[in-house]
Amino acid sequence: MRSTTSAPKSLGWLLLPALLVLALFLGSVALLLFHAFWVKDGFSLIYFRQILDRADYHEVFLRTVSISSIVAVASAVLAYPIALLLWRLPRWRNLLLVIVLVPWLVSLVVRTYGWLVILGPKGFLNETLKWAGVIQSPLPLIFNDLGVVIGLTHVLMPFAVIATLSVLLQIDNRLEEASESLGAGGFETWRRVVLPLSLPGVFTGLGITFLTSMGAIVTPILLGGIRQKMAGTQIYQEVVYNFNMSKASAWAICLLLLSGLGLALLRMLEAALVPKADR
Amino acid sequence: MNAPILRLGRAASFALLLFLPLPIVVIGATSFAAAGYLKFPPGELSLRWYAEAATDPRWIEAFGTSLGIAAVVSVLVTAIAFAGAYACHRLRPRWLPAFELAVMSPLFFPHAALGVALVNVLAMAGYLGSATGIVIAHIVCTLPFAWRPIVVALQRIDGEIVEAASLLGADERRIALGIALPLARSGLVTALLFSFIISFDEVTITMFLTGPQVTTLPVQIYAFIQENASPVLAAISTATVVVTLMVVMLLERLIGLEFFVAHDPA
Repeated sequence: MRSTTSAPKSLGWLLLPALLVLALFLGSVALLLFHAFWVKDGFSLIYFRQILDRADYHEVFLRTVSISSIVAVASAVLAYPIALLLWRLPRWRNLLLVIVLVPWLVSLVVRTYGWLVILGPKGFLNETLKWAGVIQSPLPLIFNDLGVVIGLTHVLMPFAVIATLSVLLQIDNRLEEASESLGAGGFETWRRVVLPLSLPGVFTGLGITFLTSMGAIVTPILLGGIRQKMAGTQIYQEVVYNFNMSKASAWAICLLLLSGLGLALLRMLEAALVPKADR
Repeated sequence: MNAPILRLGRAASFALLLFLPLPIVVIGATSFAAAGYLKFPPGELSLRWYAEAATDPRWIEAFGTSLGIAAVVSVLVTAIAFAGAYACHRLRPRWLPAFELAVMSPLFFPHAALGVALVNVLAMAGYLGSATGIVIAHIVCTLPFAWRPIVVALQRIDGEIVEAASLLGADERRIALGIALPLARSGLVTALLFSFIISFDEVTITMFLTGPQVTTLPVQIYAFIQENASPVLAAISTATVVVTLMVVMLLERLIGLEFFVAHDPA
């Protein structure tokens, strides 16, 4: 809607509500910094020092980063064939897209509950395996890191499907036709034409799933053990049970920094792997 | 590639796709099981868990709260996004890229960090544990999702229509409400329905903000899972799935789902 008639400056007032929302958000970030560095009534680094000193806290952050990395890679790998399927079947795309979007939009607490019902000690899977005589005692599928990885991967996979599919849909059909008419088989065309062109979507998916997994609370609490804490669980406990806003804020800042670092590393990896013209 | 391998690959991809709705389907099946848990072979069917949920005032209240908050949030955030995006579109300020980056910035925050940040600011304003606080937080979180489809829709409007209207004497108010608003309706409907679902189903940030006075459906589901995983939860969860499914189908019928997989033309 580009128009040559100049719009009056008074339209600027329409920006006010959005600016207010933005100010609220930026204000909350400023308060986060304030609380993290201002403990009781003075400047202090006590909670940052605590994070640096305590081995159990190192373990929490290490677990958060490793689980998030595994979840991001697993989501990207498992989502790729789904995205390819939707791309290949344009006539069915809308129906299949509903199958991807509805689980994505349904509350993650509901999806996590579903995994409890399936994977729990008395869950559907264990009971069925017992009934079939495959196992005697239930398999420990949840209340450990495995449960958290399964739950988070499932919760975040739709993000990766959508990110990958949106890039696949950008690919010019003629490139594939050209590749095939030059004698490349289906697999060869995928490996040499489609895969490199779809990598930016895969990387977007990796970034979103990593970031979301870093900030997860509900799935780690419900599917992980009491000892299998992630940074999000610790933050939630500090706010809701200990009312320690300073500690929670310090943790939130560390979480933000680690997430930013992860995303920066992903960017560098993408820059190294994806030819510039494709980005 | 020869056909059998291709077909095998397709079948495997399809199996992966069906993995996505699996937990929802399992919950749906559980909610109709009289025994209250899923077993194989299946047992007797019953609606008792739905009856139990529908007669428990705690669930009715939480359901109403969640629908109400989602309705208020979606209307407000769509209005805020339309006003802002329209002004940006017409004025094209030099700082537009920086402003849009700031609007999108909550997306770059892990939810746990965003939750703490919002608790800080809402506690200071005295809105912690109130519906107003939850509405404010949801507006902050959904603005990026409402902004995008509206910007895309505004960019599709033919500039000559606006120019013609302007030459024919339409004032700014008329151009905004009589031309831009109806022509951008696909973006408005997408923003409205998308932010409604996000608000209705949001749990990670909301659980920082609920209190004894007010709680939302997903947060109450979370609390009940921790206390006692009663089969009533399966019935309640299925109800949230039905609401989500209905909104997605509505969006599909009215506008289509292309927005979710469309590349940002901006």
